[in-house]
Amino acid sequence: MRKLLITAAVFSAAAIAGVGAVIAWPVKNEVGSIELTGDPQRGAYLARAGGCIACHTNWEEGGKALAGGAPLKTEFGTFFPSNLTMSKEEGIGDWSVQEFAAAVRQGVSANGEPYYPAFPYPFYSNLSDQDIADLWAAFQTVAAVDEPAPAHEVGFPFDQRWGLKLWRGAFLEAPRTKPVEGRSETWNRGRWLVEGVTHCGACHTGRNFAGARVLDEKFRGYDGLPGGGKSPAITPGALQKGGWSVSDLAYALETGIMPDGDAFGGSMGEVVTYGTSFMTDADREAMAIYLLNEEQDG
Amino acid sequence: MKLKTILAASVATSIGIGALAHTGATGIVLERMQAMSAMGDAIKSVTPIMKGEQNYDADTVRKAAAVFKEHSGTAMTELFPEDNANEKSYVKDAIWEDWGEFERLAMRLETLAQGLSKAADNGLADEEATQADMGSMMGGDTASMMGGDASGMTGGDSAETTLAEMAEMPADEVFADLSRTCSTCHTRFRAEKD
Repeated sequence: MRKLLITAAVFSAAAIAGVGAVIAWPVKNEVGSIELTGDPQRGAYLARAGGCIACHTNWEEGGKALAGGAPLKTEFGTFFPSNLTMSKEEGIGDWSVQEFAAAVRQGVSANGEPYYPAFPYPFYSNLSDQDIADLWAAFQTVAAVDEPAPAHEVGFPFDQRWGLKLWRGAFLEAPRTKPVEGRSETWNRGRWLVEGVTHCGACHTGRNFAGARVLDEKFRGYDGLPGGGKSPAITPGALQKGGWSVSDLAYALETGIMPDGDAFGGSMGEVVTYGTSFMTDADREAMAIYLLNEEQDG
Repeated sequence: MKLKTILAASVATSIGIGALAHTGATGIVLERMQAMSAMGDAIKSVTPIMKGEQNYDADTVRKAAAVFKEHSGTAMTELFPEDNANEKSYVKDAIWEDWGEFERLAMRLETLAQGLSKAADNGLADEEATQADMGSMMGGDTASMMGGDASGMTGGDSAETTLAEMAEMPADEVFADLSRTCSTCHTRFRAEKD
């Protein structure tokens, strides 16, 4: 009996020590100094394409730009996109560009806390220092709103942020944005956008029990979106079967119009309205060419 | 079963109005489906033109604009009476909870339909000008893009183009705005298909 008690005590001590080690585990990689001059116009374009503006603004309630978005209801709890204005107290006004880079590329806050993957930072991790500098220059122009976004409403155990470190260890993968040799510049541009910045896979790829994308199911659609939404498959095969051509897809990203004459609803309507409709024709076409895995011009 | 039939029917927007009558939908829900279907057909009739894949034809554009006009504004809002809230359809309760916004979008669609008709003779934007324009929309005045004036940044509502402005615009730009109005309304008030 005594032996058993000792064993139990040893195990719980080990468990506590293990959790303690995870809590203390620094997940942030140091960001070297970024002294490039940012282009705020290019940054604003990336902020559009990347959904920063779409998600961190509460459009339905007439919220101020980037002052915090509409709640995302998920099976893990309700997430409130944060205030990304230049407010020093409630926004990101007192961040350094390095802290901004760590947040966007690594999903780690200024004080080393990991973000929930409701924030699609895994798609942004290949952004270059120039991309970050451009984004940062654009964010400098956002008027401060000194109101905090509400805190996330997440129950136990998901409120234990140290658990996210384990999540990162198990599931975090760099996006496949690197150019593929032998493919056209347009196709590779589409790849960089689709796999990275515009993060199509955040909604169109299925997720597992832990809310991590299942890469084997990439672009096959998912019916567990926040708020109970569903996304269709957007593999080349599925798109072709649905009658989508490159020009249809590029046009849908501009206008929301589908080949059957219907207009997008659901969150795809928001993606177009607040995101892809602001992109250039060339970029929308590149996305379409990559998604359909074609090479010729639409 | 009846719901399933209705759902199946509206998935296939391309099916004719005659066929819709056989779906089991009746009364106002059927009227709604007919109106949406008519607009869907009008969209399809002009999309190849707007994409530059078919020769531009101002009459076709005007005809489509007339269809949008006919089914927008109060003609649209009258099809969604609140006492019909319990009927099975794709409409979300949000439409009655936020009636003012629905009304605004329906009226906006009507204005855009009128604008499209006026812009029909202007043809398509020439591509170089469009890209220059995009540049200034995304760049130029970054202060207003990213900050203060959120609506200017979104091409959103308080920066709405007026009818007089639309009359001077390329038809494809008015049409794109009209299309996004459909999409915005669907996002807010239409439940998505299974």
